[in-house]
Amino acid sequence: MNESIRQVAIYGKGGIGKSTTTQNLTAGLAESGKKVMVVGCDPKADSTRLLLGTLAQKTVLDTLREEGDDVELSSILKEGFMGTKCVESGGPEPGVGCAGRGIITSIGLLEQQGAYTDDLDYVFYDVLGDVVCGGFAMPMREGKAKEIYIVASGEMMALYAANNISKGIAKYAGKSGVRLGGIICNSRNVDREKDLLRAFSKELGTQLIYFVPRNNIVQRAEINRKTVIEYDPTSTQADEYRQLAKAIDNNDMFTIPTPMTQERLEHILLEYGLMDSLKDYVI
Amino acid sequence: MAKFEGYIEQPRFSCAIGALQSVVAIPKAVPILHSGPGCGDMVAGFFERSKGYAGGDTSPCTNFTERDVVFGGAEKLRKIIKNSYKVLESDLQVVMTGCTGGIVGDDIESVVQEFQNEGKPIVAVDTPGFKCNNYVSHSNVVKAIIDQYVELHEDDNPARSEANTVNLFASLPYQDPFWKGNLREYKRLLEGLGLKVHVLWGPESGGVSEWREIPRANFNILVSPWYGKPIVDHLKIKYGQDYTWFHSIPIGGNETEKFLRQVLDFAVEKKAGIDKKKAEQFIKKEIDAYYEEIDNLATFLLEFRYGLPNHAHIFSDAGYVVGISKFLLHETGVVPKEVYAIDNTPEKYQQDILADLASTSDKKVIPLRFEPDAGKAQNEVRQLSHKGRGIILGSGWDKNLAREKGYDFLSIAVPSPVRLVMTTNYVGFSGGLRLIEDIYFTALQNYS
Repeated sequence: MNESIRQVAIYGKGGIGKSTTTQNLTAGLAESGKKVMVVGCDPKADSTRLLLGTLAQKTVLDTLREEGDDVELSSILKEGFMGTKCVESGGPEPGVGCAGRGIITSIGLLEQQGAYTDDLDYVFYDVLGDVVCGGFAMPMREGKAKEIYIVASGEMMALYAANNISKGIAKYAGKSGVRLGGIICNSRNVDREKDLLRAFSKELGTQLIYFVPRNNIVQRAEINRKTVIEYDPTSTQADEYRQLAKAIDNNDMFTIPTPMTQERLEHILLEYGLMDSLKDYVI
Repeated sequence: MAKFEGYIEQPRFSCAIGALQSVVAIPKAVPILHSGPGCGDMVAGFFERSKGYAGGDTSPCTNFTERDVVFGGAEKLRKIIKNSYKVLESDLQVVMTGCTGGIVGDDIESVVQEFQNEGKPIVAVDTPGFKCNNYVSHSNVVKAIIDQYVELHEDDNPARSEANTVNLFASLPYQDPFWKGNLREYKRLLEGLGLKVHVLWGPESGGVSEWREIPRANFNILVSPWYGKPIVDHLKIKYGQDYTWFHSIPIGGNETEKFLRQVLDFAVEKKAGIDKKKAEQFIKKEIDAYYEEIDNLATFLLEFRYGLPNHAHIFSDAGYVVGISKFLLHETGVVPKEVYAIDNTPEKYQQDILADLASTSDKKVIPLRFEPDAGKAQNEVRQLSHKGRGIILGSGWDKNLAREKGYDFLSIAVPSPVRLVMTTNYVGFSGGLRLIEDIYFTALQNYS
């Protein structure tokens, strides 16, 4: 595989907007002339819907189930917005099988089939939820993604998850060389969100690489199965995603995160008044 | 299980799925493996001549592949069960999970339940290899059969409805290489006392129909240092069956007599309707026959007194180690030196086992070590030096150690590619005589 391909994995709490953010920022990269492949690592297989304008993509594991491991690359790799290559790993139905192993199998098959072509500038892995087992850590293992970005917001559980994911990164950092590139804030309009995220990032030994403001145009674009850049290229939100793409393209701050204790995390949350604004938030 | 750290060089037991042998040993019972294709083969290879009706690589197996890991293997299991009914005539099917199915978390119980609902005699047991070893898993298999199959037939088999019937839980099929012969001998001896005995495994058992009658028994007999105890504990709660527990394998005159008297006293206490006089006559007859042979042996022993082994090292499970030690010391004059229980004996039973062994003699202390790594145990023996000629009683893997030390060697435990055992028993009076025969056969072979 070409060593110059930047392999990036996007992690974050379920529902935080990883897929939306990944697709919008990869649209930004593609628009600027970068060759990008997006690998959805979620059994729901909805990581490339906005780039493809459809959900009807055969997943890597679908082909494994139906045809065995003799996968035809053309049947699973589709081109989306501005030539982005889109692949969905797929997985078992909810409640059965092992989705984690599914990711391992799927990435292995993609490598075998030569999906990582030399013309690529970027490969993005959009990984579901938390790093609950070895399978979900697959993209950060040796030879895979060297950069991780965590999507978070000013909400407590999002930060808990981000801290937890950082533990996974720190664990693999020594062997695989994976580094945390920063926190992307997908804003929920929580009080003092930017300050909190900055403080949190600093404590984690990383940076708040970009603050994506909340804007309903994102939802409108999603309903239309488009990224914001495609749906309304002149909107301010489209520019925000272009800026995010630029920040990632220019990023040179890659660190081994320093996850904090639960006590320390709660202390930061308290310091930034999160607890006051969420009095009814019961853990 | 006992805790151990690091690696084990020579485990003399199998992983949890090794208890598939406890199914193979039930006439016309079939294990159905929800595992990779290697498990059955591996288990069959570890034990000797162990395939039975449909064991080892002939067991129906889902042949778990990567696809099944990712998507779950329940559908494949359903299919393999259905197809097993088409090609195998069997009285009981026991579905057992291997590691992969266990980690993925396939819901085998609900698949099996579909067939149970159709009236099939089928049970499911969780036996992923990482869970425990086969000594422990054996009990889980038995309890699963009791709870998922025997229980369905309770109406025809009321609890404790037969005063003189007992269930015997003794040898672990195949893990004890002499299980078949031993169960036959236990049965003969206990029937001599006037009891009707469910031995449950092997040709002397009544197969699955005998399993259905487990609840009828008045009480249970456990012959084991620790394994199998969860079964009798379970039956005590489930059917109110009390049990009498003999902690080591009864071999030779002393221990067999003690075993029979313990069971006899318990049977009387439990009002088993035993004719005590007749039972006593039986015991006496057996003892007389035994000592007549020992008398005959005396001349031989005197003639060869300087050319025979005078001490022994034993590698086997705790039940055999204690049983053989007692027998050797008192009935053959071969002094057990360092002996090793290699069954990963749980810590909570170790003190009782040591006390049982210590009761053998107030003059000789027999050093017993609990060592699941038989390689480590071998290394200890390698460093030891005792006066006179020695013999090692262990698995086939100990043969080279005996050769290194210039000792005689007798294979008495698995794995053993160096000995063919079919129906030989070491249990009982006759078992003691057979053990003497075997020890002196090997000694005389090497006599110069």
